[in-house]
Amino acid sequence: MLSRVADSLYWMSRYVERAEHTARVIAVKLDSMVEQTPEDAAASWARVAEALSGEKQAVRHADAFAITRKLAFDRDNDTSLINSLSMARDNARQVREALSNEVWENLNRLYLRLSPVTMDSIWVHSPARLFREVLEDMHALEGVTYSTLSHGEGWYFLELGRHIERVQLVGRLLDLHFTAAANEGEAGPKYFDWLVLLKFCTAFEPYTKRYTASIRPQKIAEFLLFDAEFPHSICFSVDRMTEALARVAPGAPPARRAAVERLAGRLKSAVDFGQVDDLMRGGIASFIADVIRQCEQIHKQLYSSYITYGAETVL
Amino acid sequence: MQHEAVANTEDFGGPDIVSGPARISQAGIDPPYAAYELGKPYDEMFAPDGKVRGPYAALDSRLSTLSLEELVRRQQSCEQSFLHQGITFTVYSDNRATERIIPTDLLPRIITAAEWARLEAGLTQRIVALNLFLRDIYTDGRVLKDGVIPRQLIYGSKHYRREMRGLPVPHGAYVNICGSDLIRDETGDFVVLEDNLRVPSGVSYMLANRDVARRAFPAVFRSMGVRPIEHYPLELLATLRSLTPFTEDVSIAVLTPGVFNSAYFEHAFLARQMGVELVEGRDLLVNDNVVYTRTTSGLKRIDVIYRRIDDDFVDPLIFREDSALGVPGLFNAYRAGNVMIANALGTGVADDKAVYAYVPRLIRYYLAEEPILENVETFLCREETSLHHVLANLDKLVVKAVGESGGYGMLVGPHATKQERAEFAEKIKSDPDNYIAQPTIQLSTAPTFVGNGVEARHVDLRPFILHGAETKIVPGALTRVALRRGSLVVNSSQGGGSKDTWVLSQ
Repeated sequence: MLSRVADSLYWMSRYVERAEHTARVIAVKLDSMVEQTPEDAAASWARVAEALSGEKQAVRHADAFAITRKLAFDRDNDTSLINSLSMARDNARQVREALSNEVWENLNRLYLRLSPVTMDSIWVHSPARLFREVLEDMHALEGVTYSTLSHGEGWYFLELGRHIERVQLVGRLLDLHFTAAANEGEAGPKYFDWLVLLKFCTAFEPYTKRYTASIRPQKIAEFLLFDAEFPHSICFSVDRMTEALARVAPGAPPARRAAVERLAGRLKSAVDFGQVDDLMRGGIASFIADVIRQCEQIHKQLYSSYITYGAETVL
Repeated sequence: MQHEAVANTEDFGGPDIVSGPARISQAGIDPPYAAYELGKPYDEMFAPDGKVRGPYAALDSRLSTLSLEELVRRQQSCEQSFLHQGITFTVYSDNRATERIIPTDLLPRIITAAEWARLEAGLTQRIVALNLFLRDIYTDGRVLKDGVIPRQLIYGSKHYRREMRGLPVPHGAYVNICGSDLIRDETGDFVVLEDNLRVPSGVSYMLANRDVARRAFPAVFRSMGVRPIEHYPLELLATLRSLTPFTEDVSIAVLTPGVFNSAYFEHAFLARQMGVELVEGRDLLVNDNVVYTRTTSGLKRIDVIYRRIDDDFVDPLIFREDSALGVPGLFNAYRAGNVMIANALGTGVADDKAVYAYVPRLIRYYLAEEPILENVETFLCREETSLHHVLANLDKLVVKAVGESGGYGMLVGPHATKQERAEFAEKIKSDPDNYIAQPTIQLSTAPTFVGNGVEARHVDLRPFILHGAETKIVPGALTRVALRRGSLVVNSSQGGGSKDTWVLSQ
């Protein structure tokens, strides 16, 4: 597979994952805000804004309309839903020949439909509906990606992008909630916020199946960090990354393969042998920071091993 | 959101063709042709008496049963399908990029089996002669020694590549992919307007238009015995393969300038349809005169490149050094025979406006045959008798400077003032070699859906000719349409669209 094609597939997938996550968080937040006091809703919107845009958000400025606009439709916000979709589509267009018609047309159609939408046109009547519909479209995209592409090297680059992005997105949400719980005490996340955190990660029902409906932060951390079977847990994503790394670039020189597989193995063992009991004594934030840092290292090594390597090293 | 109206235009229900007494529509009278004007140019659908021509009868019957609303709906869903497929080009204004589709018209243009047989024979004859000509001017130069064509016209052309001299090309095939532009004259005969021998585009629209028209009129399509064109990518692949002596593991790539090129959709489409790599210049590198692509597993050798970038940009070491689209060292790898490039470099010398005028003579010279397809009548001002004729008839002719394109250095006689003509006459006299003249060209008209009915619009015809070990012409073409009433400009940048072309099997 051409290195440039691998590069575009990887980034297309990261942007798709980011778009899906953003749409879901906004949809869940818009649905749930009506059940909260204005103060609680504002605090929760501020956490959402920070998790998705990376910028600290003052609670007193946390206004649902402004935050939704920024996260969903603001073309000046690099991580907005519309920008993520636009970047995903630009990358897809560059590797049009490596994708199926179904994948390209689903993504293209989704972007073209969302592109003219403005806040004013959705805010009056059920704004959450738009984001739920976007999510359904994204699930359709995920479905045709799974069912119409060969599960060869290109598909594994998509998997790598998806899961490296997912680890960071889920990690950031967890980090913000547990840091707020540790620092803010009574003003921090309440029962309802923990429940919403699960919904941000599509984890509410799978969680209750595993732990019953008793919502406890420690169990949430255990589930979203270490559950091996739930697709939005960090452990699951790390497993997928490790598997995908074993399947890409089959003919690459052993030394270059080893460099990236070693990093992935180290991350996998950290996640496989992590214990939530150890982390609950204040170590969650640093554990997550370490996981995210390791993902960044894997990303860099992936590029130097397979995509940007110097041609002189192989001639 | 995902429940949006279904975009396709399947037409499997309902009566496809009207039964009962056959109705023959009259242009300018019967709906939907009430506003259909027949003029001096040949019309594809209606005979001069306003009656529908035979090959269009089935389409006419179908059209008379469809309401305008239904036609509008079909037109819209086909436009939507183009948009979703990404068959678009980008227009930049106010720092914002807008994507536009190239308009496509639902109604097919029909070519009979007899017409096609003549086109096929004529185009084959022409491509063979043009390739013999290219081989000649890059080797012995016999045609120049014999005085058939002036030396200066060839050696002075900016498309002549001295680097190609003496370089053998497989099967003597310099032009492997050609897209000639033809028009029908007033008598209905096809004549060649231009040979595009460099990097012709549009074949993906030929195939995309087929999907549209077949969906819009499936039963008419089925009943008429339209010849298939879907195998074009296969034939292209076979042509590219025939350029190497290897039979197995031939590694082929389509070289594109990238996603910002207006024909990018086509480059990606062809690569996908052929199952070969789509590469950009930055994906390729040359080492020891061998071309490689950078893959995740390491470097992989490339044997044949179907390049969709102009000569000038292919290799910055040999041609334009500011080119970021090409590959340094590519030409040397080509010269060493380690990679084949289609089309060969330097083919542009043969589709120059002045050389065009010589093509009928070249056919006689190389093949000792009369040309099957005529040129548009062309006067070379470098020839004494022609010069007199041109100067005496400036008010009736279009005069073009040989080296220019895009309407520069051009006089449209009938539309020019007396003073403009006088000034231009001086220019011609001072440098006659640089000018050619042609009568004002009339393109034929074809039925085109315009929103509130079917009207006549001017069309041309671009078939695609493949030439490797053998010559192959897929029975179809891109028919370009000037969508503005009365306009003769079919270019997509200036309000042109396209439509499907049905070549009948009998």
